[in-house]
Amino acid sequence: MSAAPGFELGHHLPALQVVVPLIGAVICAMLRNGTLAWGWALIVSVLTAAISTMLFVAVQAGGTISYGLGGWAPPYGIEYRVDLLSAFILLIVSWAGAIIMVYARQSVMHEIDAGKRAWYYCMYLLCLTGLLGIAITGDAFNAFVFMEVSSLSMYTLIAMGKNRRALLSSYQYLIMGTIGATFYVIGVGILFTLTGSLNFVDIAERLVTMQMERPAIAAITFLTVGISLKLALFPLHSWLPNAYAYAPSVTTSFLAGTATKVAIYLLMRIFFSTFGEAKVFEILPTTTILVLLSVSAMIGASLVAVFQDDVKRVLAYSSVAQVGYITLGIALANDLGLTSALVHIFNHALMKTALFLAVGAVFLRIGSVRLHDLDGIGPKMPVTMAAFALAGFALIGTPGTAGFVSKYYLAAAVIDKGWWGLVFVIAASSLIAVFYVGRLLEAIWFRAPGALAQKASDPPLSMLLPIVGLSLAVIWFGVDTRLTVDVAHNIATMLLGGVK
Amino acid sequence: MSDKTPKDGEPGWFERKRNIDKVWYVLLVFGAILTASEFLYEHHPHFAIEEIPVFYEIFGFLAFVFIVFAGKALRKLIMRDEDYYDRD
Amino acid sequence: MTAIDVNPGLLMIAAGLLACLLPRVGRQLLTLGTPVAGLLLLIATPMGALTTLPIFGYDLTLLRLDGLAFPFGIIFLIAAFLNAIFALHQDDRLQDSAVMIYGGAAVGAVLAGDLASLFIYWELTAVSSVFLILASRTERAYSAAMRYLVWQIGSGVLLLAGILLHYQETGSMAFTTITLGSVGSWAIFLAFGIKCAFPLLHNWVQDAYPEATITGTVALSAFTTKLAVYAFARSFAGEELLIPIGVVMTCFPVFFAVIENDLRRVLAFSLNNQLGFMLVGIGIGSEIAINGAVSHAFAHIIYKSLLFMSMGAVLYRTGTVKASELGGLYKSMPLTTIFCIIGALSIAGFPLTSGFVTKNLTLTGAEYAGYFWIWLLLIFASAGVMEHSGIKIPFFAFFSHDGGHRVKEAPVNMLIAMGIAAGACIFIGIFPQTLYSILPYEVTKSPYSVQSVVTKTQLLTFSIIAFGVLIRAGLYPKEIPSTNLNTDWLYRHVGRYFVGVLAYMARWAWAGVCGGWRATLGAAHGLIRRHYGPDGAMGSAWPTGQMAFWATVMIAAYSLIGFWYLL
Repeated sequence: MSAAPGFELGHHLPALQVVVPLIGAVICAMLRNGTLAWGWALIVSVLTAAISTMLFVAVQAGGTISYGLGGWAPPYGIEYRVDLLSAFILLIVSWAGAIIMVYARQSVMHEIDAGKRAWYYCMYLLCLTGLLGIAITGDAFNAFVFMEVSSLSMYTLIAMGKNRRALLSSYQYLIMGTIGATFYVIGVGILFTLTGSLNFVDIAERLVTMQMERPAIAAITFLTVGISLKLALFPLHSWLPNAYAYAPSVTTSFLAGTATKVAIYLLMRIFFSTFGEAKVFEILPTTTILVLLSVSAMIGASLVAVFQDDVKRVLAYSSVAQVGYITLGIALANDLGLTSALVHIFNHALMKTALFLAVGAVFLRIGSVRLHDLDGIGPKMPVTMAAFALAGFALIGTPGTAGFVSKYYLAAAVIDKGWWGLVFVIAASSLIAVFYVGRLLEAIWFRAPGALAQKASDPPLSMLLPIVGLSLAVIWFGVDTRLTVDVAHNIATMLLGGVK
Repeated sequence: MSDKTPKDGEPGWFERKRNIDKVWYVLLVFGAILTASEFLYEHHPHFAIEEIPVFYEIFGFLAFVFIVFAGKALRKLIMRDEDYYDRD
Repeated sequence: MTAIDVNPGLLMIAAGLLACLLPRVGRQLLTLGTPVAGLLLLIATPMGALTTLPIFGYDLTLLRLDGLAFPFGIIFLIAAFLNAIFALHQDDRLQDSAVMIYGGAAVGAVLAGDLASLFIYWELTAVSSVFLILASRTERAYSAAMRYLVWQIGSGVLLLAGILLHYQETGSMAFTTITLGSVGSWAIFLAFGIKCAFPLLHNWVQDAYPEATITGTVALSAFTTKLAVYAFARSFAGEELLIPIGVVMTCFPVFFAVIENDLRRVLAFSLNNQLGFMLVGIGIGSEIAINGAVSHAFAHIIYKSLLFMSMGAVLYRTGTVKASELGGLYKSMPLTTIFCIIGALSIAGFPLTSGFVTKNLTLTGAEYAGYFWIWLLLIFASAGVMEHSGIKIPFFAFFSHDGGHRVKEAPVNMLIAMGIAAGACIFIGIFPQTLYSILPYEVTKSPYSVQSVVTKTQLLTFSIIAFGVLIRAGLYPKEIPSTNLNTDWLYRHVGRYFVGVLAYMARWAWAGVCGGWRATLGAAHGLIRRHYGPDGAMGSAWPTGQMAFWATVMIAAYSLIGFWYLL
C-alpha cells in the first residue's frame, strides 16, 4: 500500500483517511497475538495521522477538497468533503489516536485479558474509522453510519475494562448513544423529506430558498438534541462520568480526546454549513438556550468535580464543564466565539488526553485512581506527575498554557457581544477549576504517601513519552498559537460567511 | 547543628554590665554632641515646627516612647497564644 | 526590532523552566548566570526600545524600556542574582526553578508595555511565588500558601476585570497613566493595591512571608510588592489618594512590629512601612518624589533582602527566629551580626547608607510640596523604622540576653550574598550619584547637606537613647511567644466557620438542585430513586432512564420554543 507513488494516491487521500484504518481494523481482527496487533494498529494509526496531516496541508494550500466516493458525483453519490474545519478535526482525532496508541501497549497488557487484546485494538481502529468518517463525510446519512460505527466500537472499548461497572456504564452509554443517534437520524430524515437531499452542501443550497417552517425547526430540534447527547451537553451529560471512570485507561483517554470533539464538529457543521448562522441563531433563540446550558455545565459540572473522590471522575466532570466552554463559544455565533470554541476543541483534547494518560500510568502502577490512594504519589512518579501538574494548570487556564489561550478568546468573544456578566461566569468557573485541580495537586504533591503510593514509580518509557510530549505541547500551544488560533480564525470566518 | 548546651563559662563582651554601661555613655555623649552641633550651622527650615530648638531630638525620643507604649497597649487587644490558629 | 531587544524576563522564565530538568550543578549555573546575562542584555538594550508581537489583531508590547522601567529591571535582576548566591547551599529543584520564573515574571512585567502582558506576568508571579512558601513543606506553610494564593489570584482576577473594563471604556491596552474615575480604573487600582499590601489588604504579607523557606522569603520580599510599586508609579503617579494610603501604611505596622515575636514577621511589617514611603512619593508625583519612590524601592530591595538573609541565616543555624528564643548570637555569628547591623542602619536611614540617600528624596519631595502633616508622619514613621528594624532585629537576635545557641557562622555562600548586599548599601550611601544617574528624572542636589545629616542623625540617635532608657528602666515590653491578631483573623477565625457553612451550603445546594429535579419530575414518571450519592455509584443504573427523560424534555423544549417563535 505504502509503496505506491504519491501523485496518484494524493487524489485519493480523503478516501484513504477512512479506508486505511478500516482495513487496518479488519486485519487487526485476524491477528491473534496482542503485541502483534498493537504493532499493526500503531502502524495504521500513524499512517492515518500522516494522511490527515497531508490533507490538512493540502487544504490549507489549495482550499476545500471534494471527493466523490466510488466515482459518483455529489450530491447523488456520497461526497467526502474536506474543508479547513474537517481537516482541523481530522488532524486532532488522528493524532490523538496515534499518540495514545504509542502509550497503549503497556496499559492494555495490564488492563485487558490476553485473549481480548487483539480485539481491543481492532475496536480501537474501528472507532477511529468512525470518528474520522464523521469528520470527513459530506453526507448527512453517511455521518450517521459512521456515528454508529464509532459508537458501537466505543461501547465495546468501554465494556472491555476489568472493572465490572464498566459493563453497566457501557450499557448506559449505549442506550443514550442510541437515543442520540436515533434523534439525529430522525432529523436527517426530516431534512431529506424537506429538501430531497442528504448532502450537507446541497441541503444548504436548497434550504436557502425555503422559509423556516415547522419541519425545518423539527429537524434542527432533533439534530441538536441528538448531537447534544453525543457531546454530553448539560443536562444530557450524565452517561459521561461513568463511561470515563470505568473504562480502561486507554479508552478513557481516547474517548476524552476525540469522541465529544467530533460530536461538536457535527453540531457546527449542522448549525453553520447546513442551516446557516442566520437561520439557527437569528430566527431561533438558539443562543439563549445554548448559553444557559453551557453556563450550567461550566458552573454545575465544575462544582460536582470538586467533590468527587475518583480522579477519573473529577476529570470527567471537568470535561462536561469544558464542553460548556466550547458550546458557549458556538452559542455566541460570532467570529471570536467560534475561534475560541475551535481553539478549545484542540487545546482541551490536548490537555485532557495528557491528564487521562497520566492517570492511566498511575493505575498501571498502583491499580487505583481513588484520590486517597494518590496521596503523596508526586515524588514517587515525578515525571508523570509533573506532566499532570502542567496539564492541570492548563485546565485552570493559567497564562502561558494552552488553556489560557482558549479562555482568553472566549472572554474576548463574550466582551465583543457586550455580555459582561458572562466574563464573571468564566472567571467563576476557572476559580472552581482552581479548586478541583488544586485538590488533586495538593494530594499528589504535598501529602504523605500512603501504602499504595509508596511503591509507585514512573511508568515505562513508551507510556511516559506521550504523557510528557502532550504536556509540553500544552505549554507550546500556550505560546505559539499559529496552528490553533490562526487556523481557527480562518475556519470561523469560513463558517460565518458560508451559508447566507 | 545547634547544640543548646548551657552557657559556656564567662559572658561575652557585650554581656558585662561594665561594657554595656560604656556603650550607653558613649551613646549619651554622642547625643549631647549632636544637640550642641545644632547651633553650629545655618538652618533652612521648611516647616515652622523645625524652628523649635531641639525639635528632632524631642520628636525622635517621644515618637519612640509612644510607639513602644502604644504597642504594649495593643498587646492587650490582639495578643493570643502562639498556637491560636492551630487549635480547632 | 533588533536581535537584542528581548525581554530579559522571558530569558529568566525560560531558564527557570529549563532548570527543573537539570541536575544540581546545572541549576546553580543557571540561577547565577541567567540574572547576569539578563543584566547585560538589559544594559545593552537601547533606551526607548519597543518590541511588539502582533497576536490576532492585537499588539502585545513585549518590551518597552524607559527611565522608569530601567531601574526596576536592574534591581530585580540584581535581587535574583543575590538570591541565587544566598541559595547555593541548598539542593531544591522546586525552589530553584520557581524563584527564577518568579523573578523573570517580575522583570517581564516591569518591561512589558501593555496591560495584557502585565496581567500574564502578574498571574505568573503569583503562581510561581507560591511554591516558595509551599517548599517549606509544613502544614502551616501549606495553609498560609493557600491563603496567599487566594489573595494573589484575587488581585489577578480583579486586574483582568479592570483591564477589560478599561479597554472597553478607552479602547486602549497601553500600560501607561490611568486616571482614577471609572469602574475599570478602580478595579486596576485595587488589584495593584492588593499586591502592594494596602492597609486592610495587607495581611497576606505578614501571614505568608514568614512561612516561606529561608531563601524563599528573601525572593518574596524583593519582587511582588515592588512590582506593585512599579505599577503604581507607571499608572497612578500623582494620584493624591496614594498619599494618605501611603502614610497609613508607614505608620500602622510599626505598632504591630513592636510586639511581634517572629523576627521575620517583624521584617514583613517593616516591609509594609517601607512600601508606604514609596507610595507617598508616587502620590506626590513631583519629579523629586518619583525619584524618591524609585530609588527607595531600589535601595529597599537590597537592604530588605539583606535583613531577610541575615534572619534566614539565623533560622538556618539555630532553627528559630523567635526573639524570645534568640540572643547573644554575635559571639557565634559575628559576620552575620555585622551585615545585619549594616542592613538595619540602612533601613533606618543613617547617613552614609543607601536608606539615607533615598528616603531623603521622598522627604524632600514632601517638604517642597508643603505637605506638613504628611512630612511629620513620615518623620514619625522613620522613628518607627528605627524601632523595629533598626534596633529590634539586631538587638534581639544577636545581643539581648543569651539564648544559649552555640552555632557555627552562616555558610560561606550566605556570607558572600550578605556581604555584597551590605557593600551595596554602603556604596550607594557614599556614592549616591551612581543610583541617581539611573533614576527617571535628573537629580541635581546632593542629599548630604549639613542640615539633613544632622537632623536625621539627631532623630535616630534620640530614638536609640529612648530605647536605652526604656530598656534600662525595664519598661520595654518583653518578647513573648504569641500570635498577634491581624486582619486575617477575620477569615482565619471568623471566616473559618463562615467558609465551613458556605461549603456545606454549596454542597447541599447542588445536591438539592439535582434532588429537586429528581423529586418533582421523577415523581411524575415514577422513575426516581431517593438515594443518589455524589459519586454516582448507587445511581448508575437509574440515570439511564433519567437521561432518556431529559432527552425527551430537551426535544419538547426545543420544539415548543421553536414553534412558539414561528407563531
